[in-house]
Amino acid sequence: MTRTLTVGIDVGGTFTDLVAVDHETGHATAAKVLTTPDDQGEGVATALRAPAVGEAQVARIVHGTTVVTNMLLERKGARVVLCATRGATDLLQLRRQERAALYDLARDHPAPLVSRRDVIAVCERIEPQGTTHTLTDTAALAVADAVAGLAPDIVAISLLHAYQDPAHEKQLARAITARVPGVAVVCSSEVLPEIREYERTATTVAEAYARPGVARYLSRLGDRVSALGMPLPGVVTSSGGMRTALEAAEGAASLALSGPAGGVAGAALVVRAAGFSNALSIDIGGTSADVGLILGGQPLVEAGGMVAGVPIALPRVLVETVSAGGGSLGWIDDGGALRVGPRSAGARPGPVAFGQGGTQPTVTDAHVAAGHIRASRFGAGITLHADAARQAVAELAARLGVSPERCAGAMIETADAEMARALRRVSVARGIDPRSCVLVAFGGGGPLHACGLADRLGMTKILVPPFAGVLSALGLAVAPEQRVALASVMTLASPGADETLVRLARDTETRAGGSGVASWVLRARFRGQGHELEVPWNPEQNAEWLGRSFGALHQARYGFTLDAPVELVSMRCTVSGQAPGVVLQRHGPSAWDAEQLRDGGGMLDATVRGPSVIDLPDATLLVSDGWTAHALPMGGWQLERLG
Amino acid sequence: MTTMPSGFDPLRLTVFANAVAMIAEEMGSVLERGALSPNIRERRDASCALFDAQGQMIAQAAHIPVHLGAMPEAVRAVRARSPGPGDVFLLNDPNHGGSHLPDLTMVEVIASEGVTVGYAAVRAHHADVGGMSPGSMPRGATELVQEGLIVPPVRIATGDAWNDDVLSLVLANVRTPEERLGDLRAQRAACAAGREGWLRLRERDTPELVDAASVALLDYTERCVRARLETLGGRSGTAADALEGDGVSEDDVPVCVRLTVANGTLEVDFTGTSPMVAGNVNAPLAVARAAAVFVLRTLMPDDLPTNDGIARAIRLIAPEGSAVNARWPAAVAAGNVEMSQRVTDTLFAAFASAGVEVPAQGQGTMNNVTFGGRGWTFYETLGGGQGASARGPGPSAVHVGMSNTRNTPIESLEHAYPLRIDEYALRAGSGGGGTHGGGDGVVRRYRALEACTVTLVTERRRHAPRGAAGGGDGATGQNLLNGTPIPAKCRLELKAGDVVSVLTPGGGGWGRR
Repeated sequence: MTRTLTVGIDVGGTFTDLVAVDHETGHATAAKVLTTPDDQGEGVATALRAPAVGEAQVARIVHGTTVVTNMLLERKGARVVLCATRGATDLLQLRRQERAALYDLARDHPAPLVSRRDVIAVCERIEPQGTTHTLTDTAALAVADAVAGLAPDIVAISLLHAYQDPAHEKQLARAITARVPGVAVVCSSEVLPEIREYERTATTVAEAYARPGVARYLSRLGDRVSALGMPLPGVVTSSGGMRTALEAAEGAASLALSGPAGGVAGAALVVRAAGFSNALSIDIGGTSADVGLILGGQPLVEAGGMVAGVPIALPRVLVETVSAGGGSLGWIDDGGALRVGPRSAGARPGPVAFGQGGTQPTVTDAHVAAGHIRASRFGAGITLHADAARQAVAELAARLGVSPERCAGAMIETADAEMARALRRVSVARGIDPRSCVLVAFGGGGPLHACGLADRLGMTKILVPPFAGVLSALGLAVAPEQRVALASVMTLASPGADETLVRLARDTETRAGGSGVASWVLRARFRGQGHELEVPWNPEQNAEWLGRSFGALHQARYGFTLDAPVELVSMRCTVSGQAPGVVLQRHGPSAWDAEQLRDGGGMLDATVRGPSVIDLPDATLLVSDGWTAHALPMGGWQLERLG
Repeated sequence: MTTMPSGFDPLRLTVFANAVAMIAEEMGSVLERGALSPNIRERRDASCALFDAQGQMIAQAAHIPVHLGAMPEAVRAVRARSPGPGDVFLLNDPNHGGSHLPDLTMVEVIASEGVTVGYAAVRAHHADVGGMSPGSMPRGATELVQEGLIVPPVRIATGDAWNDDVLSLVLANVRTPEERLGDLRAQRAACAAGREGWLRLRERDTPELVDAASVALLDYTERCVRARLETLGGRSGTAADALEGDGVSEDDVPVCVRLTVANGTLEVDFTGTSPMVAGNVNAPLAVARAAAVFVLRTLMPDDLPTNDGIARAIRLIAPEGSAVNARWPAAVAAGNVEMSQRVTDTLFAAFASAGVEVPAQGQGTMNNVTFGGRGWTFYETLGGGQGASARGPGPSAVHVGMSNTRNTPIESLEHAYPLRIDEYALRAGSGGGGTHGGGDGVVRRYRALEACTVTLVTERRRHAPRGAAGGGDGATGQNLLNGTPIPAKCRLELKAGDVVSVLTPGGGGWGRR
């Protein structure tokens, strides 16, 4: 039998989702098992034993993991010792000086990953014009001795201006490795060679903090999967590309947003398949909603982002999370107004409708009370307690002095208002008008809120993907192999820079390694600015071209350009392999029930006018008044606003 | 169920609050994207607000608290000039709706079919508005006219057309006209975004519903604030504190507060506060109001909508001509940055004396540091210790009170200016002791690579941030030149190799150890 299955596995807080796609037939199947928080690999292995997956057919497994995210959230990583330039050893404590909350004066930032007593001062100094205090062998040895005395799991080195000259970091790493054999050393000039010491140091420390745990996890996972007779799994990074487990273990910090990246990648796949280009995506789960932006059919990748209070300034698929989801609780505040969230019923007890002990009405309960979710169909082995949900909503309605129907509608609208604000924020802040985008709505709650959100934002087209409940896993399955290398540039975009650019282009391509097509991005700004825009570039173009392209991008994004020199800050090379050529296709006999509006996933040619409710294989689609839904040949639905 | 005022729809309130907050937020996003100067773009020293047709503020996106509650004064000043629908005003006059001169405020009169339906206002701190020294925050100024160009509310545009006469007058009086023009354009675009958002909302939900919802939103916010104040009913407290000199003399400038909470109203009386002083630490009343709104805001849940409803529950009494209610021709440049901090500190202390649980005093200064040489100027402010509270230790190395701007990375600073940072560290042990310790200040040592000048405007170098509930005081700040103490407010000539050190104050501790 030939191996034709590519499998994506997404580990979430409650469920581990699996999608297996046959890249010859376009036929895809899904499975869902409970997540095993103590060792996510156990759940992954269970999912791989699902009937949908014939082990002899599996050609490729791609995994999205929350191991790093959890490690950062629970502060359960390695014990790191940090070596930093004397005079700048408190950078992690100083952060960027802004406070944790504008008005809540007692709130503080989460503690840094390394405490002050685990920071060693290094007697050396590099300045923009060159080295002004050379690192002596004696000084390096003294640091190595101090490291040995602290007996850490791993060492991070981050010296001032090391993005420009890594010599001292390398020298120190050699001294430490010689003095403390077996201890791994992570240098800032390798993890993130880019100006701005706080972000570079924090990212380097995060890498060191997560690396040992990630290596252990991936090696155990590899053993488990090999025992099943399947190929070693790859892992998707925050920037949406797949890397082998071995490589991923050396880039632990780049796995911090692995899961959400899969969701936006899945949405992008569907956007391309449906012939669209620009889109906003929203993945609505139980406790939160993830918002993403897709431009030209690809997820927007930008450097930056924060995970559990730790800045990780590596490239990542842009995802903004808001605490609004199916489990968000409805309540009445001191001013007498109806509120929804941010408190959530979470997975336990969950919505009242799940019958697991919840008593306060949630957004999901509002959908039940409004008749959007029908008792007859509800997945994942949960029996719907519709009466209890209606009762909870009715009690809240009585306190507000309105009918249960109005109360349910208002709860849904209130959640919509919160989510719409996030959708506008990610698009408007990048100069994109949401009205020019299609809305991709997925996750358990996405298809229920799609029309409400689109109406609120003036959007007229919606895509509800096939596998709306497990789209992240689909996105993971089709992630192309991708390797990234970074380099500091720090030069003006003038003819004098041409040689440097070509040299760095070659250097980054070699360092990225692997096979595939290389593409480059220059992070650039007008001199004097404090943040960069990312300009696509290739070595055939010179620096002057780069300057012009940057100006045009600045004009498009911000509405003006400056008569100032353009500074090239850093370069990123991405070598991408071929994405698996998956063509999704509905298959099997029509399971369309025109009476009950049930889409079983099979062949289907149907048009439904709102207001209607369509049951999908793993979610419920609400088609509001004024909207028409067409079943898509690839599965899923496309909705359009009439008039 | 308690009876609620007519027009209040408990089901629609949060949706409406979100909709107007989103408009203000988008104005901010347009401003940030369009602005040229780092002060607006990176440090976010700017605010955007939306007002109804009666000039009541219904939403504000504030990044730094010093603009809280101060924007309505600007719209009031514009309304006094008989504005026509579509007019766009510019102002910075502290006697007519402004705060200090670098804060240029633009107000657009939003028109729908020739009728005024609201106002969009954008305030941004410009890097220079002329006057006797670059940056327009001159140390030692004694008259407003020395501090820069004074702009009373004037029409700078009508609809989409700029009033070129006024614009060219403004640009002719500043040191960096191109950058100013860029920033003013960004403000114009942000006002337009506010107009578009407001008109779109009115069209979608009908003007009648939106007007009713605006009234209900303000009432709701006021009700929330008054409900909180009711829980503090009958309390009163007093506190006195002082600024350490006005930039001209080293004499203390006393700030006195008596506050009373009764019938859901917070009355703040500044009687006893110093009369206007010769130097520039004076402030218009808007700054004191901003401080009062900020302090009250910290007693409320984080997600309370920001609008005029908060200020309605506050009654201010500030003697005319006092340093917190300054009149022409008082100089005010440092009032916005330092008097604002002292008023905040004093208000917190008065709440504490009234038995309200508030944090101990924080560093109480923004530590304004300016270096300048041939062809370059560099300005930054430094964080310090926050006061501890019953809930826990005070955060270290943050801006407290009325500011919340970010620091300048060492590497960026060293790339752009002939300065080196020899040390940037926590000032360990500077936070006051207690059950919960105060936050630590920072140490920042600057080495000059060439001859230049340094200007320091700092506070809490004599009077330490006080501890609370038996907690110890935070350490006072200290400024040094090559290891020798220098004054809290000074301007010095430096030669290559000189090292200026700024040690910022620690926060007060909470509770007896």
